Amino acid sequence: MTDSGPLPATAEREEPALAPTVGQRAKRIFLSDYFVLYLSLAYFLVLMPFLPTLSNPANLANILSNMWPLLVVAIGQTFVLTIAGIDLSQGSVVGFTSVVGAMLLAATASPDVLSNAPIWGLIIDETGGPLAGVPGGIALAIAAMIAAGGLIGAANGLAIAHFRMPPFMVTLVTMIVISAFAIFLTQSENIRNLPEAYIQLGKGDIVSVYFGEQDESRIPRREIYSFITYPMIIAVTVAIIAHIALSRTVFGRQVFAIGTNRRAAEISGVPVKRVIVLVFTISAVCATIGALLYSTRLEAGRPTLGDGNFLLDVIGATVIGGTSLFGGKGKIIWTVFGVFFFVLLSNTLNLMNLSSFHIDMVKGAVIVAAALLDVLRTRLIRGGI
Amino acid sequence: MAVLLSFEALRKEYFGVPALRDLTLDIRRGEVVGVIGENGAGKSTLMNMIGGVVAPTSGEMRWLGEPYHPRMPSDATARGVAFIHQELNLFTNLTIAENIFVDDFPARFGMIDRAAMRQRTAELLSQLALEVAPDTSVDSLAPGERQLVEIAKALHRDAELIIFDEPTTSLTPRETAKLFETIERLRADGKTILFISHILGDVKRLSDTVVVLRDGQLVAQEPAAGFDVPDMITAMIGRALGGLYPDRTAAPRDEIAFSAKALSQPGILEDVSFDIRAGEILGLFGLMGSGRSEMARIIFGLDPLEEGALTLKNQPLTGGVRDRIARGVAFVTEDRRAEGLLMDAPIAENLSLVSIEEFGRAPLALLDHARLDHRTEQLKTDMIIKAGDIKTQPARALSGGNQQKVVIGKWLMRHSDLFILDEPTRGVDVGAKFEIYALADRLAAAGSSVLFISSELEELMGMCDRIMVMNRGEVMGMFDRADFSERAILAMAFGKQAAGKEVAA
Amino acid sequence: MRTVSTLFAGAAFAAASLGVAAPASAATICFAFQDLETEFWVAGHTAITRTLEEAGHTVIERNANEDANRQLEQVRDCIAQGVDGIIIIPQDGESAVTIVNEAQDNDVPIAVFNRPPSDLSKGIIVVADNASIASQAVDFLAQEAIANREGDGKLTPMIIVGDLGDPNAVGRKDGFYAALENYPDDFNTPIEVASEWDAATALANLEAAVTANPEIDLLFTSSDFLFPTIRSVFEPRGMWVPRGEAGHVVMGGLDGDATACQLLKEGFIDSTGVQDLYFEAEAALNAILAAIEAGEAQPNEVIEDPGFALTSANLGEREMDMWGCVLLSEGFLDQ
Repeated sequence: MTDSGPLPATAEREEPALAPTVGQRAKRIFLSDYFVLYLSLAYFLVLMPFLPTLSNPANLANILSNMWPLLVVAIGQTFVLTIAGIDLSQGSVVGFTSVVGAMLLAATASPDVLSNAPIWGLIIDETGGPLAGVPGGIALAIAAMIAAGGLIGAANGLAIAHFRMPPFMVTLVTMIVISAFAIFLTQSENIRNLPEAYIQLGKGDIVSVYFGEQDESRIPRREIYSFITYPMIIAVTVAIIAHIALSRTVFGRQVFAIGTNRRAAEISGVPVKRVIVLVFTISAVCATIGALLYSTRLEAGRPTLGDGNFLLDVIGATVIGGTSLFGGKGKIIWTVFGVFFFVLLSNTLNLMNLSSFHIDMVKGAVIVAAALLDVLRTRLIRGGI
Repeated sequence: MAVLLSFEALRKEYFGVPALRDLTLDIRRGEVVGVIGENGAGKSTLMNMIGGVVAPTSGEMRWLGEPYHPRMPSDATARGVAFIHQELNLFTNLTIAENIFVDDFPARFGMIDRAAMRQRTAELLSQLALEVAPDTSVDSLAPGERQLVEIAKALHRDAELIIFDEPTTSLTPRETAKLFETIERLRADGKTILFISHILGDVKRLSDTVVVLRDGQLVAQEPAAGFDVPDMITAMIGRALGGLYPDRTAAPRDEIAFSAKALSQPGILEDVSFDIRAGEILGLFGLMGSGRSEMARIIFGLDPLEEGALTLKNQPLTGGVRDRIARGVAFVTEDRRAEGLLMDAPIAENLSLVSIEEFGRAPLALLDHARLDHRTEQLKTDMIIKAGDIKTQPARALSGGNQQKVVIGKWLMRHSDLFILDEPTRGVDVGAKFEIYALADRLAAAGSSVLFISSELEELMGMCDRIMVMNRGEVMGMFDRADFSERAILAMAFGKQAAGKEVAA
Repeated sequence: MRTVSTLFAGAAFAAASLGVAAPASAATICFAFQDLETEFWVAGHTAITRTLEEAGHTVIERNANEDANRQLEQVRDCIAQGVDGIIIIPQDGESAVTIVNEAQDNDVPIAVFNRPPSDLSKGIIVVADNASIASQAVDFLAQEAIANREGDGKLTPMIIVGDLGDPNAVGRKDGFYAALENYPDDFNTPIEVASEWDAATALANLEAAVTANPEIDLLFTSSDFLFPTIRSVFEPRGMWVPRGEAGHVVMGGLDGDATACQLLKEGFIDSTGVQDLYFEAEAALNAILAAIEAGEAQPNEVIEDPGFALTSANLGEREMDMWGCVLLSEGFLDQ
């Protein structure tokens, strides 16, 4: 009697083969991988008549360009949530690694701004950073950023896997320490004068579309919109690699196993500690690539990049996509759609001319709704009701 | 005797699928009725209807001739129905008296009348021959004692019908014996008992009448006296089972495959030494707290070992879990839910978990899906796992027996020289039990060594070549198959502690 | 890729020069500010939105909550919405440069208000000249001190300096010295007290300095926010005395917040240098509206705000030009 609950075991009883009812169809859509995409498109269509700017090509280009950096960071968070962890340190890694890249690459720096910073004279001075103008310097600087981010992630993972400390605690402390360290390095100043080729990684476009003049504003302006950009290529590449890693490799299977039941995974010979360290490293490396995109589009290394509500955006977008906070459930495609929905939401709230306080309140409410949906979906799948 | 509870054409459907089909049955007052059936036969559905958890789709229940329609569990309690579940519903942080009075504290001048509570509790406890003070905290009680507290709670509410659902699963043999005495006493007091258990010997011994359910239908209702265990099994599974245990197909070989020498771990093991030959099934019997499961974990590398040496195939066995698995040690845990399965993951992912690394293709360890699917499907067929699409159906949706097959199955995707089976048949119905026994035999016949740990002595006697008995971390003795004797083994298992209070798990 | 964009840009310019839209009276202006956490920014925000709305223009407000990235995204959204011009209060000088470039690349005129970009060559940039403001305030203090002098000895001035890594603090200090240079015979070498823009540091250093030099004739603080700190040091020593009473120390500051306005009215301080927030707002607006009228998409101009000193002498006539006094009159300190 232990194992058959009040419901008949679904294994042994086939459901009658009837035409799907409306409820069943709704359930199928609700549980589908594309649910959030459908939701986003419906939202878009509903708002289109009220917000004429929404479907304007300039706005679509904005939505896309806002998506890519957030997507890269959220992909890292997806891995962590899937093992039932959480990574609060991503924002601080974004700020810190943006400083690392900028201080190595800056072509020149002003002593007025940076002479009080501990890195002045040591790494950077009037003649710029050590890799300024060096052939292949940009690649080296990116490698250094990834190494720095990866080390932070590995340290998180080691503390969590080997000392069994809760991820919330470990990454909270990392967040505080790393962002304080980044601010200390530059004394809260930003590092500008980055090489043009580096900036191109965050801003450069490959295919742009010209739409002719627009006559709504009083000064006619050229209408060139970037659709295929370097950030897009970088983000899509990261997403494809992450998708393969999570769904088609031994490592991905082990990630899910740990997220579903760490004890059972351990007893089944899954290298739990190694996988946890790797997952937190991936999370931090994704944050680093996000830092690359964010800091190049702002054309500066900023210790305060990724402060404030950034983490809300990252975790919110991931959870809206459908990745479970309880672990064991996550897909990169979900996160792609979640980020799309989240960016679309922010964009539309901006277009409605709401104040930032209202925008944050609405975003918060949507994330709570997503977390509730997660619970509901889990129940639907388990209970079959 | 008068009829206490009767069912007339009682039927329950879930989404049009019948779970109970037109059951007509009388339960007479003062009787002990054993209810048996495989998982999914409809026992839970019937109990849930009696308890007011679900309502019947059609048909009628009568209580002493009156229509009986409990709409919620408290309706059933008010009529005099009490459930004693295997997982007890006690507040472990409260005292016995507080638990018994938890929903109707006696009050005097607006204050809880503790004296009255204590007195009434003491009466109830003495009625059940439980010699502890009413103010004892429940968390200091052994599982058997806790169960008696549940029964006291039922008596306090003047329960007429007491339903025991798998009550002996977590009890020691001694506690079980005491529980059975209590049930006898309740019957003598005129209470009606429904006794649900997978352990058919207990059912036969205890019941007046045995009711067998299969596929939601009543297939037999017989006086226990003339209803033998093999007949019960035949009625339950609808066909004759060739005995309770399969015949062993091969004799153990001569070579010693695994040996443990002088294992000691303070507080857990003391100087334990034994060998298992290739092709041998070694039974390990002991009471809870005897160190049997702890030793299994030590051999598998989950827990540390202070002194002693383990050898497998003449090579020392060291390192962590992953090293042991690589050396060919397999471990079927006793805790299926917490440690055995990824409940929410598909069956195929559970089956492939241990050997998943073998399906990665260099250099990026991309999964070879075709080979993986083929192997898991093969295993499903081979192990007769009753499931739909194993790539989508989660392990949670399987019945207990099939879940257990998955737990064992994941170790069969690769070759292992030593199988440690810790309570492999716990909570599993008779049909699946037989299949698990047959599997153990197959493993042994293929030359692996099997360490079979169980608290059901009968199955060890049925399956093992030798039985080792442990008590308080020490090996008390070893029996060859020819010398198996239930009485001798049990006596040895109680060992030195026979006189004192039992050690609770 | 650049070449592709440039090619299109050329084509677009050609198209644009053909169809100049007739100027309409009202414009849509996007006002993107970084935060409203200090009273100065609250006042600046109010100054701009009110002026714009009174002139009949539509204002779209964007608050970036101190997130430079968010501000960039908000400005892009404004551009997509088709605004006529943009005014920003940037998070910092570096992100300001990026945002100005972004707007100019999209042919939207942009003005930067109050916090200057690190590159002043692009956009309409309104900056306050800290040195000039400080020297105006200190000049009045010097005259007051000389007028009140008893005897012929040289007077002892003291300055509380800010964090000298901050160009603002440097400008204020320079203005202080520049003003005193006009009175070479009347003042001793000033005593410098470091504050690092931190009230606790200022408190400790000021206590030490006042204990060592109890005879101070003139005190200038590089920021008004330190007046409460000064009071807690001066009051126990009998040095916190209003104008006209014995023992009054001639005192002034810079910023012009509500506290300074109140102290000035009560007579405890004599002057404060202030950015002319209303002048700045108006200048930024006029410049951007002029650019829109002229169809100029990339207006570049640096507008300097000389600021002024609100003193005990001109309090009556210029009070309401100081943002702190406006806030004070609206009951800001009572909240």
